[in-house]
Amino acid sequence: MVSDDILESWFCSEVLPNEGALTGFIRNNWRAAEDVVDLRHDVYELAIAGARRGLPDDARAFLFTIARNHLINRAKRARIVSFELVADLEAVQHDVDMLTAERHVLARDALRRAQEGIDRLSPRVRQIVLLRKVEGLNTRETAARLGIGIDAVERQLAMGMKALADFMLGGPGKIMRQKFVRKGRRETEV
Amino acid sequence: MSRAEKADDAAAGWVIRRENGDWSEIDQAAFDAWLSASDGNKAAYWRLKHSWKEADRIGALGIEAAPAGPRRSLARYWIPAVLAASLVAAIWIASVPSNWGSSAPEPAVATYEARVGERKNIALADGSRVELNTHSAIRATSTSGRREVWLDNGEAYFEVRHDPQRPFVVHAGARTVTVLGTKFSVRRDGKDVSVSVVEGRVRIDELSDADDRPASTTTITGGMSAISDGRSTLVTQRSDERVESALAWRDGMLNFDQTTLADAAAEFSRYHRRPIVVTDEGAAGIRIGGTFQASNVEAFARLLRDAYGLHVEIAPDAIKISS
Repeated sequence: MVSDDILESWFCSEVLPNEGALTGFIRNNWRAAEDVVDLRHDVYELAIAGARRGLPDDARAFLFTIARNHLINRAKRARIVSFELVADLEAVQHDVDMLTAERHVLARDALRRAQEGIDRLSPRVRQIVLLRKVEGLNTRETAARLGIGIDAVERQLAMGMKALADFMLGGPGKIMRQKFVRKGRRETEV
Repeated sequence: MSRAEKADDAAAGWVIRRENGDWSEIDQAAFDAWLSASDGNKAAYWRLKHSWKEADRIGALGIEAAPAGPRRSLARYWIPAVLAASLVAAIWIASVPSNWGSSAPEPAVATYEARVGERKNIALADGSRVELNTHSAIRATSTSGRREVWLDNGEAYFEVRHDPQRPFVVHAGARTVTVLGTKFSVRRDGKDVSVSVVEGRVRIDELSDADDRPASTTTITGGMSAISDGRSTLVTQRSDERVESALAWRDGMLNFDQTTLADAAAEFSRYHRRPIVVTDEGAAGIRIGGTFQASNVEAFARLLRDAYGLHVEIAPDAIKISS
């Protein structure tokens, strides 16, 4: 069994760089946009459980196989997708190879993405994140400096942390495709 | 709230609380219980912790945290103050935040040196500790806004007293290492610089020739090492053993693992006036491993003779090894 320390470093260095591609893959193959983040969470959970039995040689292929199987299972259970979609998913191996480039770009651009991620935060959240990252203030010190409550600092810091993570891992820089959202809604209404 | 959101919110809370510095055993137990409850929790926590750490790079961008209240211009916060050193003909220009006053005392520079074979413990004025390895020299100065050390030669281990108001900066050739409070070592061989971090995180900037802006920036944390190689900086995978091995000199030891005899000999020679010279390529390429006392070069030479069947000649100016 693989130890949690090793799992963690594998997850961060091998799995997370695929987040942008994985999210795109789920979004393209699933009609309900509001499910995407939950589905990705499921895939991560399954990936960690699987890798605990032995780290895969090719993390990306492993991850997309899990994602594909998970979507197929969910689709069959929910019966909201057609067989064509399942067939499409089964042919996903092609996609995987085309996603390699994205990962290198991500690593090289980490500093730029950190900067852009910061720029996208609301002014207050940005200020709190910078007090932590640049001046090294903890929650209590930040609360004292800004004259606001500790809870408010924690809440806004958590928001900043989550937004930065999404952005730095290749997340919401991409605009969600409205077409998919509408289509999904209409079909569930039927 | 969805499962993913719930796990994310909890994970963010843990990342924040773990950084706050008042972490108790009860907190640790609660955290362990939460983390082991599901792989989904682990995914959320590892993901946020990792990208939050990656975001440390923003510290390198030179953005300043804006002051409280309505946005004021940054210039008001960082008013450049001129410190004139009256005894020297040089004028130091430093950026000092105005709220710490522009009347900072003139920086006194202290010089410390360890001769070949020597190891020295130094207490700096700010409460930080430095251990100098053989044949090493540093200069240290401290102002109200900044603590600075220049590693002119050799290798030094730092235990920096935490002080978020005054970053601790180590200059080593074209690299600068910036920290708030942590334990790490810096080694300089001419232009090559390597940094090993025991605890906390440090930022390494490479200065460009053209201007003052860093040409490249790397942030590493406890258990990692960074080695400069020309213009690039290589960061090793997290390995506590490797860092421990890089710091074995603090106990007077040298650690070799699959090290060529040529490199090991060079390493030993740092500690002795009489160098070890490997005279032929066959012997130079032999890989050796083990832990040796840095001061006892004779034992090392004896081992090479007895275990590897090498020829050892002890001359007044050098210890010569050949096959």
